[in-house]
Amino acid sequence: MRNGCDAMTRHLRDLRVLLPFAVLIAIWWGLKDGFGISDKLLVAPPLVWSAFGTLITRGILAEYASTSLSMIGIATLISFVVGVPLGFAVGTNRYAARALEGFLRYLQGISGIAWLPLAILWFGFTHTTTLAIVIYTLIVPIIFNTMTGVRAIPENYVLALRSLGASRLRIVTDVYFPGALPSIVVGTRLGMGYGWRALIASEMLVRQGGLGDLIFGARTFSQIDRIMVGMIAIGTLYIVVDRLLVQPVESMTLARWGVLRK
Amino acid sequence: MSADKIVVSGFRHFFQSDSGRVQATGEIDVTIREGEVVTLVGPSGCGKTTLLKAIAGFITPSEGQILCDGKPVRGPGRERGVVFQELAILPWRTVRKNIAHGLEIARVPKAERDRTVERLIGLMSLNGFEDRYPHELSGGMRQRVAVARTWAADPDVILMDEPFAAVDAMTRLTLQEELGRLCATTHKTVFFITHSVEEAVFLGDRVLVMTKRPGTIKATLDVPRHGKGGRDWDSFTGDPEMRAISEQVMHLVHAERV
Repeated sequence: MRNGCDAMTRHLRDLRVLLPFAVLIAIWWGLKDGFGISDKLLVAPPLVWSAFGTLITRGILAEYASTSLSMIGIATLISFVVGVPLGFAVGTNRYAARALEGFLRYLQGISGIAWLPLAILWFGFTHTTTLAIVIYTLIVPIIFNTMTGVRAIPENYVLALRSLGASRLRIVTDVYFPGALPSIVVGTRLGMGYGWRALIASEMLVRQGGLGDLIFGARTFSQIDRIMVGMIAIGTLYIVVDRLLVQPVESMTLARWGVLRK
Repeated sequence: MSADKIVVSGFRHFFQSDSGRVQATGEIDVTIREGEVVTLVGPSGCGKTTLLKAIAGFITPSEGQILCDGKPVRGPGRERGVVFQELAILPWRTVRKNIAHGLEIARVPKAERDRTVERLIGLMSLNGFEDRYPHELSGGMRQRVAVARTWAADPDVILMDEPFAAVDAMTRLTLQEELGRLCATTHKTVFFITHSVEEAVFLGDRVLVMTKRPGTIKATLDVPRHGKGGRDWDSFTGDPEMRAISEQVMHLVHAERV
């Protein structure tokens, strides 16, 4: 009996996260109907819902979404493989770390989108352009966080291992990698968030598929319902990737060690 | 008399700081014989950790030289194990894996590794905690793991830098007794740094007293150990000879208050 009640309150608590969405939809619908806003500016939720149905059944949404997802996937993979070793190289060298810290911060100020004009001149309106922008956006936080992660490792971990006769390689695999892993995961998570935004923006200008292309194309024909379906898909996919893929990895490996840094 | 294990001669060390060269220690000469437990007590900042780090090979002496088995020390090596005050066992390894780390590095076969780890888990009263991670342990337990890891790697010399300073007073008494027994049974050469007079006399075969910064060795006192073991706090506090030595050391240290 008690358990049943507990389970119910837990479910109710979980539903709280949906409350703001319900409020937003209510306000949207209320504004639309209350002020009689024209369909050229805003459409009512049911229309968006039916556009969603159409885009799903015709496979349009799946096609555009899979382009975006594979782009973010490829960009993450490349950024990880290149960025983590770079972060180690910089983080284990005190002089390099001091020299590059300011530079990396500076680069974070020049958003990926600011590189778009140059990238388009170099690579044209292609997937390469988008990939370059997204990798740039993703890799900086990965390098930066790997570097800070390595630098935050207590010196004693390294000294103790050297006294146990550990080689340089051994120190990398046994101390630096696991020690910096929480930061690497945080960096990757942040990078994927920034990268996802840069991806959508780049797709809008490059127009070679992806959800950014979908919503920007829909603008040409004033398909407000499509634009809104696209926006909802962009937000939903971000949450799905972050909560269902990245967060579990974080808690699985790191919470167990008690070294999870927030 | 046993052979000289560690010989420090004409050692002096300076640090480079923003405000120039800072003298960390005065001139130090120390000889540690094989199988001897030497404790070093001195006020904070006197340079005792600097000396230990130099023997460990973490820093190169500005002046003088350090010999281990007659060979100059150049960098850290597995024949000289170190137990730090804190933050030295790896949080991502279980107790067992932490203790086995040195043996893993030395490529000791698994069966032998397991036997050694099992033995140290018993000696350091870590039974039942083998598969726990350090964050699940108390500070005292973590230091037991650190001690066990160093002993498991079987170095010739063990350097300990205030290993129990960050542990609560009650646990410290137990750890000191355990370490005393470990030293007595394994006959390791141990160099132990502390700022506690009682700890220095309780554990040492010989106690060195250091002056305040830049520290030099001010006095050396032998602590006669009667009988086997005999290193428990009850018999220690009840022994007038031990009390006399402690008082003597206390006077020497007192004069160096900073």
